[in-house]
Amino acid sequence: MKICLMGFGAVGQGVARVISLKNDHLNDKYGLDVKIVAVTDTSGAAIAEEGLDPDLLLEIKSKTGKVCDYPEKGISDLDALSVLDQVEYDCLVEVTPTNIQDGEPAKTLMIKAMADKKDVVTSNKGPLALSFSDLIKNAQENDVQFKFEASVGGAMPIINFAQQTLPGCDIESIFGILNGTTNFILSRMTREGSSYENTLQEAQQMGIAETDPTQDVEGIDAACKTVILANSILGMDVTLKDVELDGISRITSESIALAKKEGFLIKLIAEVSSHTLKVSPRLVREGSPYSVEGTLNMATLKTDLADEVTVVGRGAGSIETAAAILSDLVNIWKSK
Amino acid sequence: MRTNLVLELLDVPGQLVGVLEPIGGLGANIVTVIHQRDVKTERGTVPVQITLEGDEENLDLVLKELERLGISVIEIDGVLRKEKITTILIGNIVDRDVKDTMDQINQLQGVRVADLDLKMAEEPLESSAKIIVEADYGKRDEVMDKIHKIAENKDFLVISEV
Ligand SMILES: NC(=O)c1ccc[n+]([C@@H]2O[C@H](COP(=O)([O-])OP(=O)(O)OC[C@H]3O[C@@H](n4cnc5c(N)ncnc54)[C@H](OP(=O)(O)O)[C@@H]3O)[C@@H](O)[C@H]2O)c1
Repeated sequence: MKICLMGFGAVGQGVARVISLKNDHLNDKYGLDVKIVAVTDTSGAAIAEEGLDPDLLLEIKSKTGKVCDYPEKGISDLDALSVLDQVEYDCLVEVTPTNIQDGEPAKTLMIKAMADKKDVVTSNKGPLALSFSDLIKNAQENDVQFKFEASVGGAMPIINFAQQTLPGCDIESIFGILNGTTNFILSRMTREGSSYENTLQEAQQMGIAETDPTQDVEGIDAACKTVILANSILGMDVTLKDVELDGISRITSESIALAKKEGFLIKLIAEVSSHTLKVSPRLVREGSPYSVEGTLNMATLKTDLADEVTVVGRGAGSIETAAAILSDLVNIWKSK
Repeated sequence: MRTNLVLELLDVPGQLVGVLEPIGGLGANIVTVIHQRDVKTERGTVPVQITLEGDEENLDLVLKELERLGISVIEIDGVLRKEKITTILIGNIVDRDVKDTMDQINQLQGVRVADLDLKMAEEPLESSAKIIVEADYGKRDEVMDKIHKIAENKDFLVISEV
């Protein structure tokens, strides 16, 4: 299977690493040989029909920061769209940054790949939260596969889990903690009794929260995931503007203490059901499935036949997120 | 053993059968059913009084099944069932008239504020209040709607139970 890897940041490098680690295993078990035939970042691209060496790619990227420095195969200033025209491939793996204004450049790249009859795997929430039905329509019209397990909950199985493991159940609602950064901040505030501002700073120093934490703390990231789950699992047709939103920036240590006295914790919860799409701080029972700590993500699916089913896992991380992308690649391969 | 239940059903065709069937399947006998269609509530529900006979285990199963079906049992053997609803508000609670906040909630029928715990912050805009409301069974949505309306007017953040 020849893949084009668009974006070579934390997730893109994770993909290269898991391919390097797992290719023999995949070959033995499924007869799958994943070849990276092209990779791009903001510097340009590296292209090789016979496949690039993932370890060398990682080494170059860590040394110079540019994939275009790959020996002989690197090309500077080549934009991702033209790369797709220059190389033979089977599947686009799209891992550029999330853009919640217009979903670009990811959206154009994915639609082009689909029009060229290529399968698409992505971890990018932007285009999914803004143009889900458009993308699905393109995939269907071109009869290609479109998978995005990594976009919600990183390594925590949820989309494929609902679709493949619970295919006979109607999923009535999903309640989940879909953002690791805010879960870390709230867990820490609960343990230490510290203020929101201090805990956010600490999370930034640890590299858990970004310099501009808006997307996480205002609940926008969780709202994007809410949209993806509503569309892909509950069969709705909604976008980001349909989600009611309250973040965690108003949460105080006093409110957490009040909750604790009654045996509750405060968590940023995404609620997904046919009548409510909402991200807001909520009270959850200590010791319940919602009480996961640190950067962990979780989700409880309420079903008609199996009652409640809960999944927990790592919502972010280079290798963890790449693991979800690899599951999508293997699933596509197995379906051929 | 006999138990009297009062259920709240929507006044639409098929509702009653939809409840009686599963009860029959759980080993409890239905002795009487009184369907008072003329005492409709504001929400368009009618109370249905059902007398069941069975052993305690079967009656427990019936209550669990009704809960799973999303049917409110508002009274068991003449005693109104209550539920406790905990909410935390963050905002300028004190300056925005705490008493009025309580009064507005207490005005709902079958609902009362059972506990209020205020915590002041250095910054008055960030004070928190925990409110525990005791309400007749099935009133949760009504109570939460009310609290959300008050919060919208007074710019409070509402933290409600999942
Ligand atoms: N990190 C996680 O744990 C995680 C988990 C789940 C989902 N995701 C999602 O996965 C995606 C990738 O995340 P990440 O953490 O890997 O981001 P990242 O570290 O910021 O990497 C983004 C990569 O895309 C490249 N890039 C930026 N703009 C581009 C453009 N216009 N065209 C082509 N390439 C471009 C960057 O190039 P340079 O290297 O030259 O800057 C970089 O290689 C995001 O959509 C994110 O939301 C991430």
